[in-house]
Amino acid sequence: MADTVQEFVFNLTFPFSRTLGSTLSTFSSALAQGQIIGVRTGGRVIAPPLEYDPDTAADSGTDWVCVGPKGTVSSWTWVPEPTNLHPLDHAFGFAFITLDGADTPMIHVVDAGSESAMSAGMRVEARFKDPADCVGRIDDIIAFVPASDPSPSEGAGEPFEAPAENEITEMDAFCDLQYVDNASPTTLMWAKALMEGRLIGQKCPQCARTIVGPRGMCSVCAIELDESHIVEVPGRGVVSNFTVVTPTPYPGQTETEPFARCSILLDGADAVIAQQEILEVPVSELRVGIHVEVVWAPENERSAADIDNRSRGSGGDIIVGWRTTGEPDEPADRYLDRMM
Amino acid sequence: MAPSENDIAIVGFAQLPPERRTNLTESDLVLRSTREVIAQVGIDKSEIGFTVSGSCDYLSGQGFSFVQNTDAYGMVPAINESHVEMDGAWAMYEAYVRLLQGDIDIAMAVGVGKNSNSDPSTLFTVEFDPYYLTPLGTDTWTLAALQARALIDSGKATERDFAEVVVRNRANAKSNPFAQVKGDYSVDELLAADYVRNPLRRHDLPPTTDQAAAVILARGKRAYDLCERPAWITGIDHRIEAHLPTVRKDITTSVSTRLAAEAAGAGKGPIDVAEIHAPFSFQELILRESLGLDGSTEVNPSGGALAAHSVMTVGLIRVGEAANQIIKNGKNRALAHTTSGPCLQQNLVCVLEGDQ
Repeated sequence: MADTVQEFVFNLTFPFSRTLGSTLSTFSSALAQGQIIGVRTGGRVIAPPLEYDPDTAADSGTDWVCVGPKGTVSSWTWVPEPTNLHPLDHAFGFAFITLDGADTPMIHVVDAGSESAMSAGMRVEARFKDPADCVGRIDDIIAFVPASDPSPSEGAGEPFEAPAENEITEMDAFCDLQYVDNASPTTLMWAKALMEGRLIGQKCPQCARTIVGPRGMCSVCAIELDESHIVEVPGRGVVSNFTVVTPTPYPGQTETEPFARCSILLDGADAVIAQQEILEVPVSELRVGIHVEVVWAPENERSAADIDNRSRGSGGDIIVGWRTTGEPDEPADRYLDRMM
Repeated sequence: MAPSENDIAIVGFAQLPPERRTNLTESDLVLRSTREVIAQVGIDKSEIGFTVSGSCDYLSGQGFSFVQNTDAYGMVPAINESHVEMDGAWAMYEAYVRLLQGDIDIAMAVGVGKNSNSDPSTLFTVEFDPYYLTPLGTDTWTLAALQARALIDSGKATERDFAEVVVRNRANAKSNPFAQVKGDYSVDELLAADYVRNPLRRHDLPPTTDQAAAVILARGKRAYDLCERPAWITGIDHRIEAHLPTVRKDITTSVSTRLAAEAAGAGKGPIDVAEIHAPFSFQELILRESLGLDGSTEVNPSGGALAAHSVMTVGLIRVGEAANQIIKNGKNRALAHTTSGPCLQQNLVCVLEGDQ
């Protein structure tokens, strides 16, 4: 039998589309054409532009100004070991870069080769992606690089004529974060019991309620519960509530047909085991009051890999589901007004 | 002092020992910290009229993690509860405002952060401007380093000054049983380390900490039932600057801190002790200046945020440490400060006073 898992790696990844609004749409549409712009508001040119004047909160308007592609570094730092989220895979700088024609700096990457090349006052210029790959996102500029010619940018400070309609009004983003959680003592107890084909709860010494699976606390009395409060509970109970989920397509969704998730009040327990699947009962025939019993995965197919701190009484892949026992239903109103 | 009905005090504070990596869950941490503070002031949990927590789903990597955390309050019968996606210091602020409504006497505020599950060099990229900063992987260390470089170039401080802040805080932390990073260090030995983000070295960065803390606030005369010497909140204020550090006029100073301190009445009298939340060493220099502190104020006797930095808890601990200076150490006037966002974007200042 596999050991219970001590650490869980969890990747939080999802795509996201952001609408840009009129100011950022104008910026993005220009950027995709290789033109960086700012907006003149409150007597200064803010680049990249914001929808509002940060001093007054007034609408910053549409007085667009061409800025860059060259600029001057005012502050800088150096990233010796880039992360997976950084745009370059070798050491590089980040800097405040005041583009020619702008009054406020932008934060961007400087691909300077070495830390010693970085300094306040250094002249840099934008290096764009291939025009075919530009999507109007800030990383269309791969990086700023030391300017080959420090002279002022041509056309910087001149008005920018925005098109009547912007080509780009949305931006695709992608979240990619990794978490490594470690199993709490309570989670380990639950996972071990499941692997052995046992269901356990914790019985509160104060209110005498039995909570399944264990939470390490009584959520009524707010006191700590530990190994000494563990009790065995039978793999039989009654459906106390259910919901039918109609799946909508989203990244990672594998369900296509409506499915049910049920709460089951195990015999002798005071809190339900939630999010359970009833086997071989059509969704349309589910009802509160059905007697069910647990169906375990065969011992050699059990894995505790999914039993983490979030599972909170879920059986992961160790519990296949619950099947009806054929006993007559309990009256549904017995399960009304349950809060857990 | 005969308190008016609108006087609100901190009457209890509990923090768990900071850990680099706990095997407990956030809910476990909330339970242990709230149990401890409730026992400390000697009330039954049913006497608490309002409970509010500060935590962050992105830190725990779980949507609605704060809902799970409410298990630790024992919500039968149902309680009056709230949550802020901010440090527990802002939860305390909400509890204070809730008490001002006048219909309840006791409130509890909690901060919890299990920070060790994620990597601070990537996690906080999602905190920043999603259009201009997040796509570049702009991280929290980088933004702090850009501010630090600006401070050096302004002539206001040097890398040696940064290291001196670290040496002092780590030495102070030796007498704090709730410090994770402490000890005797020399400036020269610290300056020999490599940069993580030039001009910042590892010691200039906040440690990664799992921790929870809780405070209990009481209104008017009720405070004396729970605490011999309550720490009265005589001023509290929170100010915010633009989210993009580049549009602030001068990032070597903190306008929002200065305004919050003024509004909280910090300058109305001498401040005996200040607990300042400077996640990065050099930010303590900016904050001291913006808070208007002079040499007569003892700063961060606990070792401050460099001694333990559980995001979502560290600010509430500043409040609790400052309150304990009045409750336990007999000081008259203490200031607590906490910050949030890139380059000291948001700042909260709380002034606490004991009965004279």
